[in-house]
Amino acid sequence: MDSIISIKGLRKSYGSKEVLKGIDLEVKRGEVIGYIGPNGAGKSTTVKIILGLISDFEGEVNILGYNIRDEDISYKSRVGYVPETADIYENLTAREYLTFIGELYGMDYDLADKKAHRLMELFGIGHVYDSRISSFSKGMKQKTLIISALLNDPDILFLDEPLTGIDANSVMVFKELLELLAQEGKTIFYSSHIMDVVEKVSSRIVLINDGRIVADGNIEELKTRSMGSSLENIFNQLTGFSDHENIARDIVNVIKGVE
Amino acid sequence: MVAILRFLDLFKNIFQGLGIDYGGMRKILEIKLLLDSRRVSSIIQEEASKDKERNYFYRSLILYFFFGIMMVAFLSLGSNYLFQMALIFGLFMFFMLTTLISDYSSVLLDLRDKDIILSKPINNKTLNAAKVIHITIYTSLITLAMMGPSLLFGLIRRGPVFFLIFLIQIILINLFLIVVTGLLYLAILRFFDGERLRDIINYVQIGLTIAITIGYQLVGRVFEIKALQAIEFLPKWWSIILPPIWFAAPFELILNGNTSTSILLNSLMALVIPFLAIISYIKLMPSFESSLQKLSALGGYRKEERFSNKLAKIVCKDKQERIFYKFTNNMVKNEREFKLRVYPSIGFGLVFPLIMLFNYSRGRNLTDIANSKGYFTLYFTAIYLPNLLQFLACSANYKGAWIYRIMPIGDYEPILKGAVKSIFINLFTPVVLINSIIYLILFDFKILDQLLIVYLNLILSTLLTFRIFKKDLPFSRAFHTIQRRNGFLKILLVMMGIGLLAAIHYQANKIKFGPYILMALQLITIIMASKFIFKVQLDA
Repeated sequence: MDSIISIKGLRKSYGSKEVLKGIDLEVKRGEVIGYIGPNGAGKSTTVKIILGLISDFEGEVNILGYNIRDEDISYKSRVGYVPETADIYENLTAREYLTFIGELYGMDYDLADKKAHRLMELFGIGHVYDSRISSFSKGMKQKTLIISALLNDPDILFLDEPLTGIDANSVMVFKELLELLAQEGKTIFYSSHIMDVVEKVSSRIVLINDGRIVADGNIEELKTRSMGSSLENIFNQLTGFSDHENIARDIVNVIKGVE
Repeated sequence: MVAILRFLDLFKNIFQGLGIDYGGMRKILEIKLLLDSRRVSSIIQEEASKDKERNYFYRSLILYFFFGIMMVAFLSLGSNYLFQMALIFGLFMFFMLTTLISDYSSVLLDLRDKDIILSKPINNKTLNAAKVIHITIYTSLITLAMMGPSLLFGLIRRGPVFFLIFLIQIILINLFLIVVTGLLYLAILRFFDGERLRDIINYVQIGLTIAITIGYQLVGRVFEIKALQAIEFLPKWWSIILPPIWFAAPFELILNGNTSTSILLNSLMALVIPFLAIISYIKLMPSFESSLQKLSALGGYRKEERFSNKLAKIVCKDKQERIFYKFTNNMVKNEREFKLRVYPSIGFGLVFPLIMLFNYSRGRNLTDIANSKGYFTLYFTAIYLPNLLQFLACSANYKGAWIYRIMPIGDYEPILKGAVKSIFINLFTPVVLINSIIYLILFDFKILDQLLIVYLNLILSTLLTFRIFKKDLPFSRAFHTIQRRNGFLKILLVMMGIGLLAAIHYQANKIKFGPYILMALQLITIIMASKFIFKVQLDA
């Protein structure tokens, strides 16, 4: 069994609106998947289905050899997730929140406490370990979320726009970190709208548009298939968007009050 | 509200003369008033729901007006001005101060103002003028609602001189209170941080809500207390530290011609202190502005508690259950909105049994009470059980509940069990304990076994309430969605269940060894019930 994640014929509708129209995807161990697509293309829905946050869907999803429809949820202790929105029980202190998460993952309190504190220090926010998360800045909250996803040494990481609000230095640390984790054999599912970061960190790009996968391969392959010179260009082309110059011009006109 | 702005328009030239950008100020006020109409005052938050946009402020005004009418009663008691007015001013100051602290802290402490408004071409002076007028509008309206009836009554029954003194005193009091609130914030921010200030505001809000709830209970009885009329109140030297007496003293001075030293001194305080306060406030204003920045600063440092961890090990044998027990402890300890909703009802649970006991004991002497069945009123502690269990499902950060789904949690039993245990032990048991101690003093130690039966029945009541109510994961819903989730019928059912348990207790007392048999039965039921009652599916 080579695939860490295996998705076959995944479909999902909200009412009459079909969001995912048949996704097939095999992810191997150690891959860093850049999962990209325009707003509303179905990226987050896919991730949520894999994580078991959404349960009514069509198709087959296997993760770490477990069928996610099964009762057995032990695979969840090998998964880390950083959601797009930093929803967190803010009135807890970082210590209270992180040890809670760690214990849920089955860790011992003291180990979770030690690890969480050390990680906070390494991310440069060790001094607020005993402060309420509600008093954190956006970047500090995001770092706390990232730590909560890494605490249990997961085999698969799902990162949804993980760099929001994080300063440039920490971004460098984080990119380096992803590379090392991939070398360790961790599988990373990275979705973001910031194309140059995706281009840099991903070993494979999966582009989804209107509920379907429209491109799949490493960045060199995509480039040589002459889809564009950068990921941004490829993205524009495949999502059928070439209007940006006209739209920008119209916006300037409205601002200046020409029309 | 438009009328207020129109009224302000009359003074446009004065504002402009002071160097204030009137158009900008008016715009700011308009938006602020609109925002206020959507804000729920803490005085009526119980009934608040988000479905409809109503002007909550007007509704709280009606409540203040109701209090205002009650106050007329004090004014009609005899002619001891000092006592009456001190009582009225005392009440007024209490409500005004707590309202200012709890509801208008947002006006005084708003940091977003700076980011949003001062980044636009609006100067600081204009923004500050808008703030001052904003607060003035509200204090005036609340003052009118609360003092209007008494003012009118005073004018008709006591004449224009009385009315005039009254009016001036009210204005002085308002100035005094606004400045005191500001100084209070200033002092807190000097020594603590923003988190602590929010905590204190939170506790004031809770205190206000408890005072109003209990006030409702007592209001009707005020008229019964004839003793108030007979009170011959003379100020002692220490009355100089009681602000309500300062403001009441001028009535005695002018209307009764009392020129004793203490009256003169108190009257002087009424005049001097507000102005001193304003001067010091203006002097301290710059340092207030800079302290305000601390609001967004980090804070709320807290160490973990070893004792509660030990307790957790005793009450929760299962590890997963213990995790959620501790989690619930931490959540309810820190979440302000949860406290705001739940703590007032805890206060009510604390006094309600005593109020019922007081009613029950009328016309009996202490020995009569000690030999009576009055201790059954301890069951009334359960009055807040439904509230407690219901709000367990709520959090201001309810969206954080996604973690339940991505964690390796097989079934919900340990979550629900740990959470319910936590609130029963931390938020219910202490209240029962405190009341039990009072009852033991009143009724003597012979009722110890009876109190134990009551406690066991309260555990059963908790399990019953959990069973009847809809099952939700803890802290997974927004507060406003919970209002109608467990309808009146379910709460009635809970109350009937508790009544039934109390009735069984009452009957068991008539049988020989009845209490002990009952205790054994209770223990068995609790152990059995807690084994299966938490094995449930969540309700949609």
